[in-house]
Formats: sequence, structure tokens, C-alpha cells
Amino acid sequence: MTSFSPRIRVGKRKENRPMSTIAIEAVNLHKRFGNVSAVNGVSFNVTEGEIFGFLGPNGAGKTTTIRILTGILRPDSGEAKIMGYDVHKDPVKARMLIGVVPEEANPYPDLSAWDNLTLVGSLYGLSKRTASERASRLLKLLDLYEVRERKARSLSKGMRQKLLVAMALIGEPKVLFLDEPTSGLDVLSAKKIRSLILDLKKNGVTVLLTTHNVEEAGELCDRIAIINGGQIVETGSPDDLMIKSGLYTYISVKFDRPINPEDAGQFFKAWEHRVQGSRILLICKESADPIVRVVEYAKARCLSIIDIHTSPPNMEDVFVKIIGG
Amino acid sequence: MGTESSNQLWRSMWAICWKDIKLYYAKGPIVVTGVLFPLFLWGAFYIGRGLDPKDGLASLVTLTIFFTSSSVTPIIAPWETRQRTLEMLLSRPVKVTTILIGDILASTIFGLVFTLPIVFYSIVLGVVLSNVLMATVIIMVTVIGFSALGVLFSALPTDTPADVVLLSSVVKLPLIFVSGVLVPLAQLPTWTLAIAAASPLTYPTDLLRQLYTGNAFFPEWVDIMMVIIFTIMFTVGALKLHEKTLSTRLQKR
Ligand SMILES: Nc1ncnc2c1ncn2[C@@H]1O[C@H](COP(=O)(O)OP(=O)(O)OP(=O)(O)O)[C@@H](O)[C@H]1O
Ligand SMILES: [Mg+2]
Repeated sequence: MTSFSPRIRVGKRKENRPMSTIAIEAVNLHKRFGNVSAVNGVSFNVTEGEIFGFLGPNGAGKTTTIRILTGILRPDSGEAKIMGYDVHKDPVKARMLIGVVPEEANPYPDLSAWDNLTLVGSLYGLSKRTASERASRLLKLLDLYEVRERKARSLSKGMRQKLLVAMALIGEPKVLFLDEPTSGLDVLSAKKIRSLILDLKKNGVTVLLTTHNVEEAGELCDRIAIINGGQIVETGSPDDLMIKSGLYTYISVKFDRPINPEDAGQFFKAWEHRVQGSRILLICKESADPIVRVVEYAKARCLSIIDIHTSPPNMEDVFVKIIGG
Repeated sequence: MGTESSNQLWRSMWAICWKDIKLYYAKGPIVVTGVLFPLFLWGAFYIGRGLDPKDGLASLVTLTIFFTSSSVTPIIAPWETRQRTLEMLLSRPVKVTTILIGDILASTIFGLVFTLPIVFYSIVLGVVLSNVLMATVIIMVTVIGFSALGVLFSALPTDTPADVVLLSSVVKLPLIFVSGVLVPLAQLPTWTLAIAAASPLTYPTDLLRQLYTGNAFFPEWVDIMMVIIFTIMFTVGALKLHEKTLSTRLQKR
């Protein structure tokens, strides 16, 4: 798939981010379990309204970081703040603002989907009526309304996962932590969750998510942190990461008639390239400048561009490259 | 808004209490244990020895409180740690303290549901109680105290309910035998009296015996005070200890 042109996404993202309040602040977090250093100096900020992704191999420390940020685990050192509230000094205030889909926590297996959801609603202090209204709306939205009376233990893995998403949303959080929210979901449900995340972002919700679906991260996230061995090894927008990975983008252009290889070679000498008849292939680290240059070339030589095709490296390659696999 | 507005506190507490009742208390086996255990133990000691059952009502009530209200609270925390629902709860804006008070509340309701009928039914049968209001209040405070005692056991940061059950049995069974609940205090040898004075079962039994038969070992005010002191001690101890061990508990895998 050669679908997205990175530059365009950058422009769009800037429009959507008018404010720059920090929603999630992690300062030099450390956490050891015995002699395993699970989180080893993690620092980052997530701006309000941003979707921030955590990408990393199994055991990298993603879940541990999220458990620290949501106040479940106390870090050995470092600070975690949600909208300015220290998660460990002001846990209730901070948690009032957040919704969590934990990787390792469960709904009560012997309570119905409905009861699980309204129970969580009460913990946010919602009245019975408000909790019921929101519960109905969320269950309908996530296609769980029909199974609301069934015990959580009898739900399929994906249904349970969606129930956890509903439980995370019932308090109408300003900051959402989603630890592998789409794991175990069918294609349609996963798509639904993704569009839900984007809708939430439109309403100003900040999202921190982890996923092992690298393409999903590339599609959803404004910024991605790649974490390995308890440390963030790279941070940036998906495009930044592509550039930082040093992987190449291939741009293939077809003109309406054959071009002169020597002339073209001179014109495109900034990049590695091949000419073949009416086609030229450019190999570069980003696509915007070469494309401008192609258009200039066409104008100068009175050529028409029949087709232009860019293949940026896919996120998976980028991920593998950065992790050093 | 305060840290946790009172509305929210109240709603959270009841939600936890309601969850407990639904998951743990409204179950056949637990109900049966709550009735049968104290009844058998009491029957074995009182009726078996040909004593007047009326004299033993105070013991039956105390035993029922003890067996009902401290039976479930010990296992909730380890069980929910194992089940990973505790983490689910604590990811929400709620303190452990609120959760534990909800647990105590549910256990209190459970205890009262089994105990108060004994009191009221015996009144219907013509057993006179010199001060019904005092009896009710002291039963309530005792139920809260024993519920909190159960919660106190569960502060052991384990995710294995059996660990806590073992601990609570090791403590609870001797408590019964060293208190005046099976044998009236007046009949105990002096050296055991000192131990009996340390048992939280001794005082509610003694006070209820006073209310039922007019005979008691300690003055009324001592019994009342000790019941209140034990309840406060268990409650504060449970909440503080849980706060201390919570992070170890959540680190369990
Ligand atoms: N409670 C715990 N006790 C002991 N070790 C732990 C605990 N939690 C995490 N670890 C260890 O810390 C490291 C990081 O684990 P973590 O769950 O944060 O990884 P992750 O990035 O979420 O991985 P995955 O992609 O598999 O979910 C691992 O080596 C793990 O074994
Ligand atoms: Mg994880």
C-alpha cells in the first residue's frame, strides 16, 4: 500500500491542535521489579487533544508506564501528572479526568455487562439516571446493547474488550489510556474503535494508546514513542519516524514521452534515480522536495505527467529499523 | 469540589456495597454457613450440656455476628487482586478506603440480616430484653467491628484467598474459646480471664447477657466502651494497613 502522502497529514494535524496545554506529563519515570528494570527513565509530554502512541516489543515497559501514569503503580522515582495533577499525590482528582482500558484488568466476570458499566459510572459519582443514559448510549455505540444482561464471563474476548472501552468512556474522560484497545477485535470492531478514537480527539480528548498493530499506530497517532527495554528510543510523528528511520521513499513518475537520461540525471542529481524510457524512479528519504522538482522538470521540458506514484516505507519497516531488528 | 465530593463518595461506597452483596452475599452456600455454623457451635455447647437456651441467647447472637460478618470480608481483597478486578476499580476515581468502607457496609448489612431476626424472634417468643434499643445499637457496632476485623485480615498483600482464610481461622477460632462466649466469664478460671479480657467477643456477649438475664461480669459501661474501642481499632487498623500494603498488592502478578 502506498497510500498516504505524509506532508498532507502534517498540515491537517496543525489545524486540529490550537492549544498546547500539557495533558500527560511523565518525568524521568523509573520502575524496577526485582532485578528487572521495567521502566528506565521515561519522560514525555502529551499535549491536550493529541493522540500519542506507544510502540514497542513485548516486555518493553508500555503497560508498566501506563500503570504508573494511571496511579496503579508507584514509580521508584519520577513524576506523573495528568492535567497538572500529580497522579500519586492527588490520585482521585487525576483519575476523575481519565478513562483507562487496562491491559491486564478485568470486568467482574459474574456481573452483567450493564452492571459492570453502571458500577464504574457510580465510581465517577454519576447519578443512577446519568449512568444509565450513558451506559445505554455506549453499549449501543459498541454493539453490546443486545448482550447487556449477559454476565461478563459469558462474553467473547472481543465483546469484553469493547465493554472495557465502554467502561473507560462512561466518566467522559478528558484523557484516555488505551492499552492495546483493539487486541482481539474483529476488523469491523477495530475500525469502529479507531473511528471512535478519532471522534474523541475532535472533542478535545487526549489519548495515549499502545498497540502492536504498527499500521494502526501510523494511522491514528499524531506522535509515536518507540519504547524498548524500558526506554524511549525515538519520538516523533509517523512521518518524522519515517525520516528518522533512514528508510527510503520511492517515487515513480511517468511522463507522456521518453526523457533524456543525461539531462534528467543532471536535473535530479540530488537523489539516487533511474531512468527508463518515459519513466523515472527517484529514491529519497522524503517525498515533498523531489515531487516539486519533478513538476519543475516537467514544466521546463514541456512534458506532461501521466502518473506519479510514491511508496513511502511502511510503518512496520520503520518500526523494525528503529528497534534495530 | 473536594477531593472526592461527598456525593461521589456516597455513590461509590454504595456501588461497592451493592457489588459485594450481588457477588458474595446473595449466594446459597454463604447463607447456609452463616446460619448453621453459629447454631451448631452454640447448640453443642449449650443444649448439649443441658443449659437453659435462654441464658445462652447472648452467645448465639455474638457467634452469629462473628461468623457472618467476618466470613466474607477477608477474601474479597485477595480474590479481586487475583481476578484483576481490583485494578479495574482502582483505575477509577476512588480511594481504597472508600472501597473498604463499601466492603464493611455490605458485611454489616449481611451480619444484621442474620442477627437481628434472632433478637426479634426471641422477643416474640417471650424472652425479655431489658433494653432493646441498647441491644440493637451494640449489635450494630459489633457487626461493624467484626466486618472490619475481616477486612483487617485481608490487608495481607496476597492474591491467594487461602492465605487469608488460614490467617483468619488461626486468629478467629482461639478468640472464640478464650472469650466468655461459650462458657460464662464467671465460670472461667482466673488465669483465662486475663486472656478473655483481650478478646473482642467477650464484651458484646457480656453486655447482651446483662440485657437478657441481668447477670454480667463487667459493668455495663465497660462493655459498651470496649465494644466501641474494638470497632474503632479494627476499622482504623484495616484502613491504614490496607493503604500500606496496597502497592505491594497491586504489584502481584
Ligand atoms: N508486576 C510485575 N512483576 C514483575 N515483573 C513485571 C511486572 N510487571 C511487569 N514486569 C516486567 O517488566 C517488563 C515490562 O513489562 P510490561 O508489561 O510493561 O511490558 P509491555 O511493553 O506492556 O509488553 P507487552 O507488549 O507484552 O504488553 C517485563 O520484563 C515484565 O516481565
Ligand atoms: Mg503491555
